[in-house]
Amino acid sequence: MGWNRLAFAAAATLACVAASAQSGAFAQSFVRGVYDDLAPGLCLVSYNYEVTNPATGQTARNSSHALGVLVSSDGLIMVRGHMVLDHMTPFNIRVAIPGENGDALLPAQVVRKPPDVNVVFLEIQGDHGPFSYVSFDGGPELQLGESVLLVGKLGETLDNVSAIGFRRVGAILEQPRRTYALDDPLPLGYVGAPVVNGAGQVVGVTGYDLSLGEGGDLHVRSGHPIIYQSNLFQRYIDDPHSEPEDDPLGDSWLGVFTQPLTDNLAEYWDLPPEGGIVISSIVDGSPAAAAGFQRGDVVTHFNGVAVRARQDRDVLGFTGLIRAAPTGPPVPYRLLRNGEVVEGEVTLVARPRTHLDAEQFEDAVFGMTLREITTDLRLALNLPQDIQGVIVQNVRPGGWAQLAQIRPGVIVIGFGGHPVTNLSDYRDAVEQVLEERPAEVALFGRVGQVTGFFRIEPRWDQYDEQ
Amino acid sequence: MRGLCFVGSVLGALAGALLLSGCAATGIPGDQPVLRAKDQVMPALVHIQPVQEVFAQGRREQRPIVGSGFIISPEGYVVTNEHVAGRSGYVRCVLYDRREMDAEVIGTDRYTDIAVLKLQTEGEALPYVRMGESAALQAGQTVLAMGSPLGLSRSVSRGIISVPDRHIPDHGTMTSPYNNWIQTDAAINQGNSGGPLVNLRGEVIGVNARIIGGADNIGFAIPIDIAKEVVDALIADGHVSRSWIGVTLQEMRRRTDDPGQRGVVIGGVDPMSPAQEAGVLPGDILLTVDGQAVDARFEEDLPAVRKRIADITPGSAVTIQLLRGGAEIDLEVETMALADLRGVELAFAEWGFTAAEVTPEIARRAQLPAPRGVLVSGVQPGGPAANSGLQHGDIVLEIDEEPVENMRDFEEMYADRIETGQRLVLFDVKSGPLMRYVLIDQSAVAGAPQPGMEDLPPEENGLMSPELNGGLDGLE
Repeated sequence: MGWNRLAFAAAATLACVAASAQSGAFAQSFVRGVYDDLAPGLCLVSYNYEVTNPATGQTARNSSHALGVLVSSDGLIMVRGHMVLDHMTPFNIRVAIPGENGDALLPAQVVRKPPDVNVVFLEIQGDHGPFSYVSFDGGPELQLGESVLLVGKLGETLDNVSAIGFRRVGAILEQPRRTYALDDPLPLGYVGAPVVNGAGQVVGVTGYDLSLGEGGDLHVRSGHPIIYQSNLFQRYIDDPHSEPEDDPLGDSWLGVFTQPLTDNLAEYWDLPPEGGIVISSIVDGSPAAAAGFQRGDVVTHFNGVAVRARQDRDVLGFTGLIRAAPTGPPVPYRLLRNGEVVEGEVTLVARPRTHLDAEQFEDAVFGMTLREITTDLRLALNLPQDIQGVIVQNVRPGGWAQLAQIRPGVIVIGFGGHPVTNLSDYRDAVEQVLEERPAEVALFGRVGQVTGFFRIEPRWDQYDEQ
Repeated sequence: MRGLCFVGSVLGALAGALLLSGCAATGIPGDQPVLRAKDQVMPALVHIQPVQEVFAQGRREQRPIVGSGFIISPEGYVVTNEHVAGRSGYVRCVLYDRREMDAEVIGTDRYTDIAVLKLQTEGEALPYVRMGESAALQAGQTVLAMGSPLGLSRSVSRGIISVPDRHIPDHGTMTSPYNNWIQTDAAINQGNSGGPLVNLRGEVIGVNARIIGGADNIGFAIPIDIAKEVVDALIADGHVSRSWIGVTLQEMRRRTDDPGQRGVVIGGVDPMSPAQEAGVLPGDILLTVDGQAVDARFEEDLPAVRKRIADITPGSAVTIQLLRGGAEIDLEVETMALADLRGVELAFAEWGFTAAEVTPEIARRAQLPAPRGVLVSGVQPGGPAANSGLQHGDIVLEIDEEPVENMRDFEEMYADRIETGQRLVLFDVKSGPLMRYVLIDQSAVAGAPQPGMEDLPPEENGLMSPELNGGLDGLE
């Protein structure tokens, strides 16, 4: 849009100072100027999303809206990070952009969710630009108590009305990085809203929670709004399609669950005050298991760095150390086991696929979608390693599987008399059944802790007609 | 599906009853069978008011509930539901003639939801019901449901048998592996639980126990034939002894619709069970048990087969014949005693949580190779356990690096730690698939509010146990 920062900022600063002296608020002309400049760069994002229950693999669909901020003339949009979560995937995204002849409704797709800031980038599909957009100033520092102006969408409604709001910087956190917390919760339509300081600079956007890699809500606590300064996300605006390898958090995996070595725990175990982090669980088949890590080990050094975790959120530092360490070459560690120092090396591997990236197979014949059982799903389902199979993610209404009372969450262990340990086995078993065309097909599965059979009655005559 | 218990105020219902009380029936000819049947059972009807021990939010609480029952012998044995009289500190009964007396709980059986009480009489003979039979019931037979719906004692409702052998799948902790159910349209409400379902000969043919929440005129009674067996065992031994071999049985239609195929499908074999040790595999077809043929084409046929196995004397070796890959094979299985469905639950007030015994079923769900430890059933907000991060559902496997084998171990360790007052107590707990350490800081105990002091107990709304509340979704 051409936010004329220099000219406007100077005027706005003067106006603001003058107004503050009288009422502590921004001058109306300043506010109006900010609104006129930023509002054309805002849009309303409507979307459907699919939520996956990690324990069953069952999915449900719903719809939602979000405030979008256009950040480039060719249609890059920034929205709140909660639009994409581990278990929640948006689809059917539509962006309503106000125009002289009403809203233009344009399709968009998710470009990325950066690992180090809790925002999501969308891209408008097709050649519809150029668009008005908001550009940001390079992360000027804010002061405690400083007033800021927000520009959002009133109530996130379909009326697509832009609106203004005021907040103050209510707290400044220094860990895990400098973070400005606002003094009051945000109404609908202001999450992801551009934040303007008294100097007329667009300093960032509002949001909730740090990125998961930074600790999610551990530092700021859920429900407390914060400002993502523009220097956190500007590089993604400049190069939205940069390679994921550039992700600063790394992707290495050790395969342990940890808990902080609290002062009480250190006292109980009579450990030295230097501290460490407690290994509470080890994932079967992980690098940690291979290296001989044991429950109760207290890791004091990892990859040459001293580890100290006294509170829950400190555990994240250790996670970051692991993720940033290399895969392949052995990584040195030092730990305390029953009070004795143990040193060793562990070969890290890339983080295993999660259920979100799991391979799927849509079985159109029997009417169900099946998915591989990833490590995270195995943990969520509390499935022992010796149980192999694939999990039913969805069944098609009225399909053969549904008529046989098969439902999402069933773990398929056998199909048509053939053992199933992975999706490839399942595909082969279906192929075999299609050749044999039996009147009844037995699916052997597991539901919770119980195994049993489901009898599927294929309607081969219908199948042939189709 | 919900269990029947009394809920809500009876005042409104009583007001309505007063308006109707002026037109008592005198018994026109068509009513005679109903009146006769009612008259035979009514003197033995019992209004039951147990005070149940309930564990909620990490505390033990006492809650009064209301149910029904009936006297089955002149010396005062009373039959009711386990979900009425189970976990009761004491039970107050009101007889038909308005006399009130306490009753002792003789025994309860969760698997059939039957309990037996003994009225504390002064030696006088009491009126008692005549037990009928439930094997040959037919849909359409007229029946009467008698009891205390919504606490309204001495109530009679009339209906017919809708289905004499309804199969009800397990619903949460509500399970009935050994019986089908009599479905009736006679009005049954909460408070009818444990009351008799009566035929027109004035014989008790069932024990009312369940309804479907939100449905009209769909109630269920435990068939009297199975109730009688359980009652006899409870009076004789205080419990029902059953065998367990560790198989999940499925009806033959789960594998094939071929009516010529006999037997029962083995759907699953429990780890470390007698069946697994004997070499039984999922997919085997069970043909005989101890020389007797077993067959279950439909799910209604399964309870009889399960009962056939359960009726074997625990610990005895039996031969089962299986069909595997077209060949018949015989295996010898040494049965084990079936464990209780629910273990002991206790409150550990100083640490601010409640724990339940780990039953074999809980151990299976938790992927424990064998029952051990204790299951945290509730954590009191603000208590030492809550502050230390202990959570509902955790299984405590060790204290101070000593294994906790069972509830008795845990009680002893608890008493010891309280007595010694050691400041820090380390739990090793299993939470789903993960293990973690939980450190209880006993020094925080002294300054903590006494149990029950920090907030009000839940409203006395009458009265469903947490398990029953969990079953409100109804049977579909």
